Amino acid sequence: MFATPVYAATAESGAEHGGALFTLFGLEVNSVTTTTWGLMLIFVVVGFLATRKLERIPTRRLQVGLEMLLETLINFFADIMGSREKAKRYIPLIGTFFVFILMCNYSGLLPGAGHIPGLQAPTSTWSVTAAFAIVVFFATHYYGVKEHGWRYFKHFAEPVFILLPLNIIGEFTKPLSLSLRLFGNIFGEEMVVAGIFSIIPLIVPVPLQFLSLLLGFIQALVFSLLASVYIATATAEHS
Amino acid sequence: MSFSVSDMIFAIINFLVLLAILNKFLFKPLLKTMDARQAEIKQDLDAAAEANAAAQKTQEEYLQQMEQAKVEARQIIEKATKIGEKTKEELIIQAREESAQMTEKAREMIRLEKEEALNQLRDEVSSLVVLAAGKVIDETLDQKAHKKLVHKCIAEVGDAS
Repeated sequence: MFATPVYAATAESGAEHGGALFTLFGLEVNSVTTTTWGLMLIFVVVGFLATRKLERIPTRRLQVGLEMLLETLINFFADIMGSREKAKRYIPLIGTFFVFILMCNYSGLLPGAGHIPGLQAPTSTWSVTAAFAIVVFFATHYYGVKEHGWRYFKHFAEPVFILLPLNIIGEFTKPLSLSLRLFGNIFGEEMVVAGIFSIIPLIVPVPLQFLSLLLGFIQALVFSLLASVYIATATAEHS
Repeated sequence: MSFSVSDMIFAIINFLVLLAILNKFLFKPLLKTMDARQAEIKQDLDAAAEANAAAQKTQEEYLQQMEQAKVEARQIIEKATKIGEKTKEELIIQAREESAQMTEKAREMIRLEKEEALNQLRDEVSSLVVLAAGKVIDETLDQKAHKKLVHKCIAEVGDAS
């Protein structure tokens, strides 16, 4: 894709930009995977630094900042999921989704992202967003079964049995829409930025980059919000 | 748009690994710290409220005791004043009685003394009179008979006066 000098060529290739960098356990390692690893490293380092010396009365900015972020996320998801306890229980999964997808989206804004080998926004490929959606799919039903036992699956045949196929289709549509929405938005946004950049590379892309910041945030929020709604629905008390 | 199964598998593994690491090293300790802090603050606030209530109760008790003590003190003072007054009156009465008795006694003693003195004087006078009369008439009379005579005479004079 970006092998061609014109950035607009991105539109044709997308995911396999630059092709496989190398193979690991027989699997191709692409730029999106290496970018993910880089982000993971940053997360692990930040997480380690933040919780190395946790204080009851925090004085370090890192701890204060992360606590504020966590508190904000818990409050936000508590409103959606119905209770603070529930939000707290699922915040590791949902919170990781939010910050990780946010950083994945923002990694596409780094200079050279999508152009240099080894750096590409992971969420700009359907492979990665589909992976996230699959995790959400399994997590949702895992928590549903954990909460209600096997009778959790009974509610797919409710209120009338004839709705069973529709409900099942609905369940599989959820991850599909979840992954395609995220992928489509981030990919599309990158295409637009790349396209504008190829036409007028100076100044004009700057407002678009700001728009990308906003879009990346909204998409991360939407993804984690929908994930929380799915989990809340699956674990809700059925009357 | 193409779909890479490798990317997807890596993404799933990567996400799960990241989730496990963040859960263990970020979310759990952070949530634990926050919960512990919240519990501590709640405990402290509860303890403060309890202490406040206890202090208020103590203050009320104290004030009540103060009030009671004031009332008691007033009662004690009143009682003491009454007793004092009574004692004073009693003492005055007693003193009056005693002084009256003493006066009476003194008068009695004066009277007795006077009587005795008078008697002695009578004796002396009668002896002197007898002596003087003897010398005058140069005749020694029977002293006893004369004394009797003189006494009689003085008694008559005394009665007359």
